[in-house]
Amino acid sequence: MKSKICYVCGKEITKRNDVGLNKKLIAKDTKIFYCLDCLAEYLEVDVDFLLEKVKEFKEQGCALFGGDDS
Amino acid sequence: MIYADCAATTRLSSRALDEALPYLRDAYGNASSLYSLGVNSRRAVELARARVAESIGASPEEIYFTSGGSEGNSWVLSSVASGSVLTSPFEHPSVWRGCERLAKRGVRIHTLPVDRSGVVRVEDVARAAEFLSDLRLVSIMSVNNEIGTIQPIAEIGTFLRSKGVLFHTDAVQAVGRLPLDVGSLGVDYLTASAHKFNGPKGVGFLYARKGVAPPPLILGGEQERGFRAGTENVFGIVATGAALVENVEKLEENAQRERATIRATLERLGELLLPTEYFVVGSESERAPGVADIVFGGTGGEAMVQILDFKGVCVSSGSACSSGQDRPSRVLLALGFSEEEAKSAVRVSFGRDNTPDEGALVAEAFAFAYHKIVGARGRA
Repeated sequence: MKSKICYVCGKEITKRNDVGLNKKLIAKDTKIFYCLDCLAEYLEVDVDFLLEKVKEFKEQGCALFGGDDS
Repeated sequence: MIYADCAATTRLSSRALDEALPYLRDAYGNASSLYSLGVNSRRAVELARARVAESIGASPEEIYFTSGGSEGNSWVLSSVASGSVLTSPFEHPSVWRGCERLAKRGVRIHTLPVDRSGVVRVEDVARAAEFLSDLRLVSIMSVNNEIGTIQPIAEIGTFLRSKGVLFHTDAVQAVGRLPLDVGSLGVDYLTASAHKFNGPKGVGFLYARKGVAPPPLILGGEQERGFRAGTENVFGIVATGAALVENVEKLEENAQRERATIRATLERLGELLLPTEYFVVGSESERAPGVADIVFGGTGGEAMVQILDFKGVCVSSGSACSSGQDRPSRVLLALGFSEEEAKSAVRVSFGRDNTPDEGALVAEAFAFAYHKIVGARGRA
């Protein structure tokens, strides 16, 4: 997977599930990405909440998310 | 949490649970058994059948308990062996997939045109019925499950009765929520699902007018007068009867509350978003109380649903994401909306337990989600 850069802090986003969250919660064709911390802050939730949502999305079989969080 | 997805399912009524619970525990007799424990269960099943029948103006012998709406719809469609079936383009998957199966068997399937209002026109049904000399069945839902539009079932039924064409309505979104009388509607078949009217999941019923019952669905015992064999779900059936009676008793009261709640949502939304940022599908006068399908431009319906969930609000999207790709709403596409619009719709559906205050809070959650999604996309 080609890595993305966080729109807010410039951090490199390397995890597939972090990219998947951006596509799931903003738009499938989003051109900008947030790292996990910045996405949580933007959506006014905490990081653990988003990680729990990743588990739910995987259980639902959403192909945006991978099993190894890599 | 604010549950605003009552078109998907509803909370089981306490009264229904209280009435039905003994049949899971102490009164667990098989309704076909000859001893008193069984006779007690049989009486409970027949009381529920009578209650359901009375609620829709039918006779008890015209009611067949099923596992839900999909089973009832499939059962009715399976009775067509030849000729033509006429239906709308926005039926529940159990109807359109049933039609697809019929088509493979040589039955001709005809679909009515429907515009963005989301309402079938009686004159289109009449025109098609005049043209199709081999028309066996017309199947049109009473209330669309996604956009909430009420269809002119009584007018269509009156016309079809005069032509001798069988008429089925999937009334899953209408039973227990709108006044229904099968005689006035002129329908031959009506299907319902209990969990949509505060009954339990996994139970429903088929109304089949006397003399036109479809062929048996499951062969075996004599349950459901030999049309659907298998030991009855006594708990579910009793709860179905109790829940339906309760909702019908408060039909107008519930409808008024649901209307007030959806108005509170739309009024508050009007204060928070610009008219160019969203629109509601169908007019209020043509929608079931408590339901609105709202298209938020520039968003994906699924992203909206997820962010609303973060805010503790449960709503649905007509578009689906099963493979990581947004799939547009089949219903909205059929009505002529663009693919982008059909990916951006969110359905809010209130029930008898919701309040106008909750309706306003739902609007605030909508506005929050909209601004987050559009704000992020706008930065690209």
